Amino acid sequence: MTSSTPLAEDFADLYDEAPCGYVSITPDARIAMVNLTLASWLKCRRDDLLDKPIHEILSFGGRIAFETHIAPMLRLQGEAHELALDLQVGDGEKLPVMATAREKRGPDDKHLFTRLTLFKAAERRSFERSLIEAKIRAEERFSTEHDQLELRDQFIAVLGHDLRNPLAAVEAGARMLERGDTLHSRQTMVIKEMRASLARANTLIDDVLDFAMGRLGTGIQLDYTDKARLKEILQQVVHETESINPEIEIVSRLDSIGPVDCDPDRIGQLVANLLSNAVRYGDRGSPIVVEGATENGDFSLSVVNRGKPIPQDAREKLFQPFERGEPSKNDKGLGLGLFIVNEIALAHGGKVEVESGDEETRFTLRMSVSTQS
Amino acid sequence: MGPDDIRSRNNVTVHGDGHRTLVFAHGFGCDKHMWADVAANFEDDHRVVLFDHVGAGQSDLSAYDSGKYGSLDGYARDLVEIGEALELRDAVVIGHSVSSMIGALASIARPDMFTQIVMVGPSPRYIDDTDYTGGFSRQQIDELLTFLEENHLGWSAAMAPQIMGNSERPELSERLNGSFCSTDPDIAREFAKVTFHSDNRGDLSRVQARTLVLQCQQDIIAPQAVGEYVHANIPNSEYRLLEATGHCPNLSAPEEVTKAIRDFLHPSR
Repeated sequence: MTSSTPLAEDFADLYDEAPCGYVSITPDARIAMVNLTLASWLKCRRDDLLDKPIHEILSFGGRIAFETHIAPMLRLQGEAHELALDLQVGDGEKLPVMATAREKRGPDDKHLFTRLTLFKAAERRSFERSLIEAKIRAEERFSTEHDQLELRDQFIAVLGHDLRNPLAAVEAGARMLERGDTLHSRQTMVIKEMRASLARANTLIDDVLDFAMGRLGTGIQLDYTDKARLKEILQQVVHETESINPEIEIVSRLDSIGPVDCDPDRIGQLVANLLSNAVRYGDRGSPIVVEGATENGDFSLSVVNRGKPIPQDAREKLFQPFERGEPSKNDKGLGLGLFIVNEIALAHGGKVEVESGDEETRFTLRMSVSTQS
Repeated sequence: MGPDDIRSRNNVTVHGDGHRTLVFAHGFGCDKHMWADVAANFEDDHRVVLFDHVGAGQSDLSAYDSGKYGSLDGYARDLVEIGEALELRDAVVIGHSVSSMIGALASIARPDMFTQIVMVGPSPRYIDDTDYTGGFSRQQIDELLTFLEENHLGWSAAMAPQIMGNSERPELSERLNGSFCSTDPDIAREFAKVTFHSDNRGDLSRVQARTLVLQCQQDIIAPQAVGEYVHANIPNSEYRLLEATGHCPNLSAPEEVTKAIRDFLHPSR
């Protein structure tokens, strides 16, 4: 034999010594032929396997799957791929394999044999088994956490709601005291501060309720019925903020606002949250500016204050829940305000932009005046 | 649910023409294609109804409910609903494997609807019991269920779309052409559990319909002793041992099964 002549493949040897198992079975499911590779996997002599029912080399589960599912599938479509089976080796040991099967049919379409090719798949199958277990565990954990979150959100929603009643009672009391004519100036001031605190508490409850409801999947619901009252409601929000914080000057420029498709109470809530931020983080001595306009089909509304600029890295996380600017002594918020501002903007199909420099910090709502566009 | 909803839920098809209706019901592991060869032989002189159990073949997988289908009664209820949708009376239900018992339960519920039953490879209980041989031990059934839990491969042609999470896009969930007997692996496991844990021995004596028990040779799912037990306990029943081997003579010997059913339905011929 010269080196230039390629060796001819020996097909009988290829069958017997192939790196996979071959078995052919008769229509009544008996082993007609099996290669030596498979016989050695099964720790049997080939002669001992011939004419045995195929069931005897399958695990019990594989046997039932073969009889009820694989055999019918082969009859119907002639071949089947990627079948998971376990071979029964001796009494106890199981050998996981992947099988491909095809029916050999005669010229008259008569079923002669079913041929199966088997590949060892122990590692692959144990990997699949671990994937299935991981999936089940992940699903269980997700389901538990989901339940806990839901419970927590419901708890927050109920708590927020129930807090309103005692606050309303305190507020009614404060109003009654305010009407008394025997108060001296110190008492009047205390009552004003009490009412300011009550207003803040109510805003916090609104925010928390929105947050919990949003998490519950209802999202922010918009009501456009009173959209004509937008300017009036914005003025009211500005006045409330001023009356609560008499030491701060608020300049409002709202005359250029035309009709806007919006939920005016929600836009009011948005501005109230921005104003409360401006009061909290802005320079005490400088006025806060609220300005809005409708122009070329767009509506913009800004709240501007002077003060320390917001650092760039903080700016990126500003609209996430429970994020706050640098903590300060008078910091009373939960960090939900800007999150809700953003949610309200998104619900209107708009967005909130923030610019912050040495001169001023400016939050701007931008949205379309019409829901149609 | 209206008749059309039921028909699409169970992928019901009606062929042929005749004053008597034959309803073919497939067993665990496959779908209505299992009956195609045999059913075609009856289309000339019968109305032939084929359907997929919910969870199998082209049935509406979204109609699957572990609670309802946690016992064979759920499947029997569907069969009665199919009968109502088609306004069946005096019909024949021909059930393979576990659907023999599903057919029996439907006939017990509506004796006027299904007056005759053909059972192919029936078993009222697969697990051995005192004074009863079902052919399986409880341990073997547990092993089968573990096998089905661990070995999803080879069961489902629709697996890929499910993994992609596109069950809300039906065009992606359509089965591949030429893919038979495919079923959701999780549903297959639950159906196996219901099937192999079932015990309907007590129902056999309540069957009023005229019944034919067709038994195969070398059937590892339903051995001969079980077929004989069914025959002995259904009052108005006949028993016939086929030449065919294995558990699916409707596929391996459709002509022999056809002849046996014809002999039973038309004894005078």
